Amino acid sequence: MPRKRNPRGPRPQRRKPAYRTSTGADGAPHAASGAFRCLGCGLDVPLAAPGTAHRNHCPHCLTSRHVDLRIPGDRRSACKGRMEALSLTARPDGEWLVIHQCRTCGALSANRAAGDDNALALLRMALRPLADPRVPVRAMIDH
Amino acid sequence: MSTHNTGSARTTDTTTTSTAPTNPAASGSAASSPHLRTETFTCVRCGLTVGVLDPSGGRRDHCPSCLHSRHLRDHVTGGPADCGARMTPIAIAVPRGGGWTLVHRCTACATLSTGQVAPDDNQLVLVRLAVRPIAQPPFPLEAFGDL
Repeated sequence: MPRKRNPRGPRPQRRKPAYRTSTGADGAPHAASGAFRCLGCGLDVPLAAPGTAHRNHCPHCLTSRHVDLRIPGDRRSACKGRMEALSLTARPDGEWLVIHQCRTCGALSANRAAGDDNALALLRMALRPLADPRVPVRAMIDH
Repeated sequence: MSTHNTGSARTTDTTTTSTAPTNPAASGSAASSPHLRTETFTCVRCGLTVGVLDPSGGRRDHCPSCLHSRHLRDHVTGGPADCGARMTPIAIAVPRGGGWTLVHRCTACATLSTGQVAPDDNQLVLVRLAVRPIAQPPFPLEAFGDL
């Protein structure tokens, strides 16, 4: 089953524009002031984040907002709903990605965890599949 | 668990896919259809031929052996997608009601989608996905023992 890795190496990421500097009066993230207010906990979040240039979620409660339609940064979604952290995944190089799901329309998006994200909230998200009482995880592990 | 891994030499046999996996939208009435009970698709990664219906009567959208799927549904418009590339499982999500949900990402266009975990899915791959973030923590986990 394990196959050879791609000899050309991993596919490079799609080029994304840097964050917007003006988005209008709808209060979307990345407004002219460079800060946004979290939809979940109301925290005022500065745009500058350690470790990432594309911050899109609150470092305290990990809540985001549905503003991108297809390409990260295109700001073409008409939904503008609240996106809550759904799960967590790790890239092959060890970076953690937070996967968000829109509470309004169910769309999914992924974003790298920033250096100042709430470590307790991240760890709780990572442990959630293993702590689920309805899935017999012990039976899967013990053989 | 690894009894399904017999078709790895047939990875090029993807064009003969009779029916590609679709989203498990209609699972209730699907089990009653004799057409669906005999319908199969071929996994684009491991080449395993699997039935469209899982043991619980739901409709599969991924291979039970390697958990890979195909990008056949456009998640912005809801219609069929013209991508058709392979989708790799990247995460396990737990919805509000409990239970596990798989998150797939398309290898060509990086679109994300969710799918239900079937009862006969490969449990080794499932647990590997669930523990993957904890195995590579970006910060030391020792500090959480003091909390």
